[in-house]
Formats: sequence, C-alpha cells, structure tokens
Amino acid sequence: MRKKILGIASTLLLSCGGPATDQTEQPGEVNVYTHRHYDADKELYARFTEETGILVNIIQAGDDELLARLEQEGQRSPCDVFITADAGRLGLAKARGLLQAIESPVLKANIPAHLRDAEDHWFGLTMRARLLAYNKEKVDPNTLRTYQDLTLPGWKGRVLVRSAENVYNQSLMASMIAHDGPGTAEAWAKGLVANMARTPKGGDTDQLLAIGEGIGDVALVNSYYVGKLLSSDEPEKQKAKALLGVCFPVNGSHGTHVNVSGAGVARHAPNRAAAVALLEFLCGDDAQRVFAEANKEYPVKSGIPPSGTLAAWGAFTPDTLDLSVLAKFNAEATKRMDAAGWR
Amino acid sequence: MGGIHRSSGRYWLFAAVTVASVLLALPIVVVITSPLHSAAPEWDHVSRALLPEHLKGSLLLLFGTLLPALLFAVPSAWLVAQYNFPGRSIFRWALVLPLALPTYISAFTYAALLGPTGSISIRIHELVGVKPDIMNMPGLCLVMAAVLFPYIYLPARAAFVAGMSGQLDAARTLGAGTWMRFRRVALPLARPAIAAGALLVAMETLNDYGAVKYYGERSLTTAIFRSWGGLYDLGSALRIGLLLLALVGLLLGLERRSRGNAARTTEQVPVQRQTLRGVQAVLAMAWCSLVLLLGAGIPISKILLDVFGGSFPLAWTEVFPAFGNTLLVAASAAAVTLLLAVLFTFRERYGERAPWSLHIASLGYAIPGAVIAVSTMALAGLIDRSIMLPFALIGSLGLLTYALAVRFLAVGNQPLRAALEQQARSLDDAARLLGASPLRAFLHINLPLMRPALLAAGLLVAIDVIKELPLTLILRPFNFHTLSTRTYELASIEQLREASLPALMIVLCGLLPVVLLDRLADRKA
Repeated sequence: MRKKILGIASTLLLSCGGPATDQTEQPGEVNVYTHRHYDADKELYARFTEETGILVNIIQAGDDELLARLEQEGQRSPCDVFITADAGRLGLAKARGLLQAIESPVLKANIPAHLRDAEDHWFGLTMRARLLAYNKEKVDPNTLRTYQDLTLPGWKGRVLVRSAENVYNQSLMASMIAHDGPGTAEAWAKGLVANMARTPKGGDTDQLLAIGEGIGDVALVNSYYVGKLLSSDEPEKQKAKALLGVCFPVNGSHGTHVNVSGAGVARHAPNRAAAVALLEFLCGDDAQRVFAEANKEYPVKSGIPPSGTLAAWGAFTPDTLDLSVLAKFNAEATKRMDAAGWR
Repeated sequence: MGGIHRSSGRYWLFAAVTVASVLLALPIVVVITSPLHSAAPEWDHVSRALLPEHLKGSLLLLFGTLLPALLFAVPSAWLVAQYNFPGRSIFRWALVLPLALPTYISAFTYAALLGPTGSISIRIHELVGVKPDIMNMPGLCLVMAAVLFPYIYLPARAAFVAGMSGQLDAARTLGAGTWMRFRRVALPLARPAIAAGALLVAMETLNDYGAVKYYGERSLTTAIFRSWGGLYDLGSALRIGLLLLALVGLLLGLERRSRGNAARTTEQVPVQRQTLRGVQAVLAMAWCSLVLLLGAGIPISKILLDVFGGSFPLAWTEVFPAFGNTLLVAASAAAVTLLLAVLFTFRERYGERAPWSLHIASLGYAIPGAVIAVSTMALAGLIDRSIMLPFALIGSLGLLTYALAVRFLAVGNQPLRAALEQQARSLDDAARLLGASPLRAFLHINLPLMRPALLAAGLLVAIDVIKELPLTLILRPFNFHTLSTRTYELASIEQLREASLPALMIVLCGLLPVVLLDRLADRKA
C-alpha cells in the first residue's frame, strides 16, 4: 500500500514536466525559452495563438541558465524557440550547436542582413541603441559626437554608466574591439573609468535618475530604458524626465552601437514548423509595431516607425557591424574592462 | 521485539540515510570536482584580475553583515523570551517577518528610499544639505543584516525560552544581575543555537547576487556571474563556487568547534517571564521596534505605498495562480527537506560517525542557486540522455523539489542539530538503559523535545522556498509561475512599482507560516 502511494506520488511529481516532451510533430503548440520578461511579448504570443491556433508555452529565465538547460536536455529538449536580448548569447548558442539554420524568405526580407546570422541560425527581432542621455541645462550635445568624446578631460567626474557586468556594456566594448582592436578599446575604457561620476551602481534607470539629481551630466545607457522613463508618469521620475536630452554618439567612423533581441530555432525543436511561423510572425508588421509602441524598442523591419518618444530624438545611423562577431569578442571585452578597472 | 531485529532495523535506516545524503551531495560534488571535468579557459585572468578584490568583498560583506545581524537578533530574542513588556506578543512573531522579504527586494526598496536618487535622500538633502547614500558596502551590510537576522533570532529565542530556567534561577539566587545572567549563563547555553543561525546568515550573505550587484559591490558570487556571463567560462565560475564552498567549510569547522565545548542542559521547563516596567519596558520596546522597523517596517511600507499608490493597474488575476504554485512548491519542498533533516540528525545522534556525504550535502546553502541549478541539470541531463525515462527529469517538479532540498538542507538541518546539541546525552542513555532502541529513543525522547526547533526549521525552509528564485526560474516546467519568478521578471526590467504587487504577496505568503508556526511553538513552550 505504502509503495503504491509512493509510486503515485512520484508519477505525479515527475509527470508535471510540461507539454511536448515527446518527439512527434505537434502543430498545435510551440515551446519557447526566453530571457525577455516583457508584457508586450506575452501580448504578442496571445495574438499569435489567436491568428494561428498554435499555443505558446513559455519558460522565462536567465540566458546563460537557459543555454545550460538546452545543452543538458540534448535531443530530448522540448524547446523550439530560444529568445534572448543579446546577439552575443545567440552567437554562443549557435557555436555550441544548439540552434539550426532556417531557410525563410520572410525572415530574410524583413530583417536587415547585419542584424541576423549569416548562416541563418538566429534572427534579430528588435534593436536597442547604446546612446547618451544628458542634462539639457548643462550639456551641449555637439560636444558628444562619439563614444570617444566621453574620455576627454572635460568630462571628468561627469559620466554615469552601470557595471561592466551589464551585457550591453560588454557588447559595446566587443564592437569596439572588432573595429579597432583590443588595445584601443581598453584605452577607451580606461578613459571612461577616469571620467566616471561614481563607482558604477544600479541599473540604467538609476543612471538617468542620477542626472536628475545632478550626480552626473551624461549617462551611457540603453535606448529602451530612456524611452520607458520618458513615457513614465511616476512622480519620482519627473525631475529627470524634464532635464534629459538624448543623442546618438558614433564609434569613430562607424555608427551608433546597437544590439538586438533575437531568436533562433532550437537544434532539436519538436515543433519546427510552428517555431518558424512564430519567428515570421514576430518580424511581421503587427508584431514590430507592438515592440515599437508598447516596449520602446527599435523595430528591425524597415518601414515600421519607432514610437513617438523615440522618433522625437531623430534618426540615427546604426553601426552595421555584423552582430555575429559579438559572441567572438565578448570574453575579450570583459577582460579588457576588468583591466581598465571598470567595475 | 528482540535485540537483533532492532539493531538490523537501525542498520537499514542508517544505510538509507547514507544513500539519501549521497544523492543530495551529488550536485555539490559536481562543483567540487569541477577542476577535473570542466575546462576553465579564462582561469588565469579570473584568478589574477577578479579573485583578490572579489574575495575581499565577500569577506567584508560576511563579517560586516554578521555583526549587525547578531546585534539585531540576540538582544531582541533575549528580551522576548525572558520578559513581559508592552507589545511583546506582537514582536515575538513579527520579528520573524523580515525573513519573508527576498533580500534583493529589500535592497531595491532601501535604494529607492535612501540611495543616491532615493526619495528620502532627496528630502534630507533639501532640508540639511547632505545626501545620504545607502548604496555602498556598509549600507549593503546593514540592509542584509536587517533582513537576515531572524535566522539567528529564531533559534536563539527557542534556546532562551526552553531549557535554561533552572540555571537562570540558580544564578539569580546567587545574586547575579540581569547582565551577568545573560552573559554567563544564557549566552553560553544558547551558543550552539546562535552559532547555527549565524552560519545560515553567513551562507545566505555569501550566495547573494541580486543585492550585491545592484549596490555595485563585488563578491565571489558576482565573480561567478562575471566569469559565466561575461567571459563565457562556466568552468572558472564553478571553481569560484568551489572557493565559496571552502570558505563555508571553514566556517562550519569553526561552528563545530564552538559547539564542541558548549554547555548542555537536561531541563525543559519553560521560562517564567519577568515583567519589565518603566524605563526598562520602554527601552525593550524601543529596541524591538527599531529592529522590526529596519527589517520589515520600512521595506514593507514602501511596497504597500507602491501597490496602493494607484499609478498602475493591479494585476490580481495574474498573481493568484502564481500564489497557488508558490504554496505547492513550498509545501512539498519543505516537507521533503524536513523529513531528510530529521533522518540526518537521527543518524548524527546515534551513528558512530556521520558519513562525509552528509557534511557535503549541507553545503548547498552556501553557493548561488544558479550554480546548484547548473550542476543539478548536468546530473539530470546525464540520466535523461542515457536512460529513456517516460518523462524527462529536467523541467519536472520532482527535480525542482530535489534541487530545493539540496539547497535548503542546511536550513532544515541547522536548527535541529543545534536543538539536539542542547539536549544532554544522559537523556539518550537513560532511554537506552530502559531498553528503548535508538530509533524509539529518538522518536519518543529527542524528537518531542525538539519540537520548537522542528517548527522553526519547517518555517525557515518554507519561507526560503517561497522567496527562492534561481532554481525555480530555470528548473520550472512550462508556463509555471511563482510569486518569486513574477516579482523577478518585473524587477529585472526595472519596473519596481509593478513588482511590488507580487512582492507583497510573497510577504503575505510568508506571514501565514510565521504566525501559524509561532502559535504552535508557543503553545508547546
């Protein structure tokens, strides 16, 4: 009797493993591992289900953890689509053989070449720019034309940026290494550290609020957070909101650094067709508009305008560096930031 | 029952304990043996550029947190256990409340109030021209201590309540004043309990990631994530995990030595509380209020303000399923962990020597949950890929429960061990002389006497599981949300106001076991 109860209990515990662990094609659903936590994404999944009848099952977690899970699950993995907010991690997933090539004219037509993998293993869905927010009362944006300008002596004690642990700082640094080599990039990081208003702390929003409080005059941040803050009606954000100006620095002769949120189809995806359908949906006009409006991200599809808040900052020239190289240089970037004393 | 039968029963039980402890130790063994199986291409850089500063940070954080945590916990536990004063019956349970707050949530709310752009900081700056900033190492230590001190408060209070009234009376008869009785009688008797709690605080401090990262400080745990996420080098990350384990092994050794010569008692008469009056009563109230305010009052008020401040729609419908899942996971993980902890303490009490696997298994609390998650997945993946079970282990609630037991075994184990440590061996000997088997003696003598500690351990594990994040986040099945994962999702995209609703629910969820178990514990005492 006791054995029986134990048996039932263990079956119960083990069987809650979720759907689609078997290998058969189930057109009725698609399993997503995502690092993105946005409500806009949930809304899009619901719309996708409405349009296609395909249910979207989700696990949200950190990207490194999700990669570890994919790796350990191997052939038995139920994952169809892997989504993350950093091209470096997408490149890493490809390098570890966790993704597969997808031949889709829709994806190719909607997504510019530098924002997707050359061998079609992953595809950028939205773009974020590493831009500068500054105090309009104290800063002339014409003095901030390049990332390199931030290292000039005039900015001593005025620059705000978060920790080197932040992936967008790492990817900016990786892009600099790709363009100019590790030595030049490290020298830039050293110059930046020398001009920091404080030891890096808090998130991107905290850097923007710090401008509001006069702790620093210029912040190197992600466009998404600036967009969110400028459309916020929370009282404690109003002071910063009123003071902030935005400009797009370029990297020397290249454009403004961008990174993508992107997706790839898992190597052992049990629902491959549904996975491709989801990707094509996410880079379609409707989805791109939702990403732009609700989540203040730059759409990747040309012809879809960014949200009004972002459009007001003017157009910018993105660095067209092939984002596949970010994965290659991320470790080097982290090392160089360590060497430069960027905490 | 004959003697032979009895001892063979014990043999099997001991064998079962060994097997269970080996199973629980496996994920830790993966970390310990990582230099043998995981390449660490960036180790050279990590050991040179990261380790010195990050080790220093961890040590600072460790001692900087332990000291105020002891200061918050021990006097208030003593006051609540030994005296009557206005508000005592509320403080008694309310002082456990800070435990219901995930450390990183408390750290975020403190930063929103007293950080460089915090609302209180700004107001103070306007008034007196100086701006306070809590986002630094001392501030971080204080915030952590304010949330974590109940790990010490709970076992200390249990120790002060039971088992020392005779000695205290004797000391009083001999003319010892309050301070003398506290320092020379109560403190030595409660030392194992206090040390056990302090060890939990130490481990929790060492494995914290969210708060340390947000405050811009460095620790071994942030070095783990820098290696893993930035350098793409999991091998180096695991080696740093190994270093963390060594550090905690050292602390465990210290704690064991402190317990070796600790005073013991055979007595279980509950304390007769004295009533404080006048200034003394006011001081007692003031101290407990201050501790409660720092640990729970300030952060919970801020959360309440955010929830009911009316600036965003309350998504109650989203929170309720998460609430149910949270209770499910907490109850099953707490039950499994507590059962294992009881078995293990039995083995430690009546076995000749505890198996090594047991010591290793109880180290799971010291390393970040994400590292346990990775090593658990490595083991489960091995099984999933080689044996075709009808269901994959990864993504099952069974594996999640297992991983949570690995992580929180120490939390269940420590209070039980400390309580057992306080019981004199003569109790066991008397039972054995009267013909009871070890199991019988344990079940009928030791276990009932441990009831307050048992309840405390169950409460601690349940609350820890409720607020646990990294394991639940990555090991959960599809579409499975808990309050903790929901809070994190919102907090990680810097939507702290929206995160306040699930955070509040976590507190409410924790409130239930806090009050319930406290009632039970008190009825017994």
